[in-house]
Amino acid sequence: MASNTAPLSLVDLSSQLSSTVERASQYVVAIRARRRIPSSGIIWRDGLIVSASHTVRRDGRVPVTLPSGDSVEATVIARDPETDLVVLRADGLPAPASRAESNESSVGSLALAVGRPGRATTASFGIVSAVIDGWRSHQGRRIDGVLRLDLSVYDGFSGGPLVSASGGVIGLNNSALAGGAAAALPTAVIDSVVDDLLSRGHVSRPYLGVAVHPVTLASSTVSQLQLDRADGLVVLSVADDTPAERAGILVGDVLLEITGTPLTKPANLYDALLATKAGEPVSIRLVRGDKTATLAVTPIDRNSGGE
Amino acid sequence: MTSTFTTESPIGATPSELIDHLTQWVVEVRHRGSTGTGILWGKSGMVLTNAHCVRDGEDPQIVTSLGTRRGRLLAVAGDDDLAAISVPGLAGPSLNIRDANALKTGELLFAYGHPLGVPNALSMGVLHAVVRHRNGEAKFVVADVRLAPGNSGGPLVDAKGQLVGINHMVANGLGVAIPATTVARFVDQVRAARAA
Repeated sequence: MASNTAPLSLVDLSSQLSSTVERASQYVVAIRARRRIPSSGIIWRDGLIVSASHTVRRDGRVPVTLPSGDSVEATVIARDPETDLVVLRADGLPAPASRAESNESSVGSLALAVGRPGRATTASFGIVSAVIDGWRSHQGRRIDGVLRLDLSVYDGFSGGPLVSASGGVIGLNNSALAGGAAAALPTAVIDSVVDDLLSRGHVSRPYLGVAVHPVTLASSTVSQLQLDRADGLVVLSVADDTPAERAGILVGDVLLEITGTPLTKPANLYDALLATKAGEPVSIRLVRGDKTATLAVTPIDRNSGGE
Repeated sequence: MTSTFTTESPIGATPSELIDHLTQWVVEVRHRGSTGTGILWGKSGMVLTNAHCVRDGEDPQIVTSLGTRRGRLLAVAGDDDLAAISVPGLAGPSLNIRDANALKTGELLFAYGHPLGVPNALSMGVLHAVVRHRNGEAKFVVADVRLAPGNSGGPLVDAKGQLVGINHMVANGLGVAIPATTVARFVDQVRAARAA
């Protein structure tokens, strides 16, 4: 079998990996905001650090150890509970992380997890084992591109970078995303969450105020109302003082479509809402008793105000 | 069997070259039905392994591609989990030793041995950290490499096949090795004691 590629040189690969870790260590910090060992953080933009929110157990000012060994005080400025991301601000940070090319985070790409659970950086090595589209947070948010990793994550790795073999950041390691298994939040998601957090202080979550469950309508109802499908979402509850209540949605209504998108599972509703803007009305088509109706509902931003 | 191997030339350029190198000096240490790994220490006539792979006062068996021999337990350093076994007539290539202070986090490391009785298994990982004594001297080499019982006493090497340490235990899923410099010091002590 003819091949033009040179045989894999372990020595070259080894020195490439160690210099990748060396470069990555220039933008990885240790965050001392919990008991026992510190967690890791990435210098993401000028003066900004991102990390895994669950590892930063305190608000306000937290001590951070820089790659130089110096300690600075950083201030927690915002958190996003759904992606478990926290943003901190600090003065005197070195240059931010470089990003990997998008083709460096495919299934099978070599990857290094780099952490700073103390003064020195530590590393583990493996491959991207899956790229999950449509991963769901606890609150139902759809996140595309979550990386499952075939590598070991150790204490203090959460919040640190997953880097490609060429040294750019692919994502932020967070074993809490996947119940303790190795996983990383992709760079694009981090950027969009950080943008929202900086501009609004929170991530926008358009919200209706209903709880729903999938149902299949009786075939007699389907034919009587001349519906093109029998699946919908039955409304189990309507919360007080919410857009759904104001629009007149009732318990027992079967939601069929939102702005033309068919609703066959609760995830469809979450996704359609995320594509809307809070404050702009959307139309919902539903079945109530033996009639269909279309209601205009104006989602609100669940995360604004409050808390 | 004659060997054309020389330690001066760069080795381990490819995975198969690395294995060819390792098979020349990695042996099996059998003791009362359990299997560990050992390192043929150059022309010294000694095999080095973990203290927990042998028992004081009992002589283990050394298995190589040439067959099985009875070794004689020379010395045990329980604190460092090291043991030296005399096996007259066995010799390997002279070993290159890599100082843990020269290791870089993220560089490739390989463990070779007989995990769970599987002979001659290679596993690959990277340097995770070097744990140091208070005086700065390397105490353990910690590697993100998958080890199992049977890897004990076997070598942790770098991409050039240089000895980095002797695999000692697994902690939190990480491989923990005794630094090669500590092993070399133990070998010197054993030799001095024999000469005396």
